[in-house]
Amino acid sequence: MKLIVFCLFTVYCCSLVKASPLERKKLQEVLRELKMLKRDLPNTELMMNTPPKDIEDCCCLTALTCFRETLLEHFGISGKYQKKLYKSLNHTLTINGLNFCNTETSTNNCSTCHSHPKEKASEFFNRLESLVQRVRLFQIYFRKLYIKY
Amino acid sequence: MSTRLLLLLYLTGHVFAQKSPDVDCLVVNLEYISCTWNKTGTPEVNYTFYSKLGNDQWKICNHYLTENNMNIGCNQPGDRFKTFKTRLIYGNNNFEKSHELKKQVKLNPPTNLTVLNGSDFNLWFYWNYTSPAPLHCVESEVRFRTNNNNWDFSKVSAGIQKYCINLPSSSSRYELQVRNRVDDTCGESIFWSDWSEPVVWASNNSTYSDDSMSPWTPVMYVVGAITLILLAMILLHHERLRIILVPVVPKPSPFLHNIEDWFQFSKGLKDNFKPNYNERACPVREYNYVSQSDVVSSDGSTCSVTTDQTDCSIEQDPEDLSAPIPSNPVSSEEVQKASV
Repeated sequence: MKLIVFCLFTVYCCSLVKASPLERKKLQEVLRELKMLKRDLPNTELMMNTPPKDIEDCCCLTALTCFRETLLEHFGISGKYQKKLYKSLNHTLTINGLNFCNTETSTNNCSTCHSHPKEKASEFFNRLESLVQRVRLFQIYFRKLYIKY
Repeated sequence: MSTRLLLLLYLTGHVFAQKSPDVDCLVVNLEYISCTWNKTGTPEVNYTFYSKLGNDQWKICNHYLTENNMNIGCNQPGDRFKTFKTRLIYGNNNFEKSHELKKQVKLNPPTNLTVLNGSDFNLWFYWNYTSPAPLHCVESEVRFRTNNNNWDFSKVSAGIQKYCINLPSSSSRYELQVRNRVDDTCGESIFWSDWSEPVVWASNNSTYSDDSMSPWTPVMYVVGAITLILLAMILLHHERLRIILVPVVPKPSPFLHNIEDWFQFSKGLKDNFKPNYNERACPVREYNYVSQSDVVSSDGSTCSVTTDQTDCSIEQDPEDLSAPIPSNPVSSEEVQKASV
């Protein structure tokens, strides 16, 4: 019994160690799928609710949800890259990777999805890409500092 | 009339003196944003600079860059993923501009570039970054050259801070430089950093020098020229060798000539090709083996089925060393009994 507990604890610790690179890889995968989707979609003048460029740290998850649901609403998941991207944006690793919010700070100040002004599809994808790149650059870096101190 | 001209000149001069300054901003090493407005020359007036990052308030510049006692730029902290607006004010003039800074990044060049001769006999180059970006966000590019030849370029993936040259030559000199930029997955920067300070490696036993020509080169040229002349003389005097190396292309003519006349051979060479001996053709005969029982059981007449016992067309020469003709054809059964 003690041995089983010890093994399970070891596996749990290893999963923590691997979590950070897994999140990084998942975000990288999101960017790759986003790039493929941008390339495959025709030059559309479609207007979509787009979260703002300046997103507060605690509103990143809300913005991610808005991006995901807007994608589903306008493009569905019938296409190959649409489906992949939707699944990646819904993945636990992606959500954890974009969760850079102190529990003390309230998320009530974040705007709802339909309150965001509509932008062109190209601007929509650019902002989603910037969100993931920004998090990839800073969140993982600063998360390590946060854990350290 | 003259007052109108003067007024027109005054207004024109005024307009030209207050042309709109163009502000260019760059994120330096992901540490601060540097904006300048002296692209077309030092401005004639001292502008006051304001910047606005995201949803923050307008902030006045605390650290101006100057040239000839005129403000030409400002450094301030910022985030390249947020909207960035600048404002230059002089009197009643207000010049506002929005900037997209995500890709306008220039990192500092890599530092501490070192070279080591590895235990695997390869040449390993290492360097460091000074930007606060994580390693996986910085990609590099190296350029190296051998013996001051042209540069060879090679990309190094993000997160890797080393480069290897396989099995370097001990008589060559290697020079390498590195530069870097933000990776695509972290918002690719359109500017590469400056090249780092070069690092040079040359083996201790190398006698390579920067002189373009070694003393053996003219010697080799002279030896090569003499060899070429000797070869030409040999070819001219040895006809047989010349014909083998440079065969003559025959010129067919509509008139029927002897084929030997097509080739411009000398008489001596022609005679060498004429045969001076006769060779007799060897007769070839076919034999079929007939069994003894068949021969005995017959009515006495020989049922020989040989195709040709004699060859009347060619005389038998006792000195002929052609294949022997068997006088007693043996049946296959007798051959089998003998072998057993």
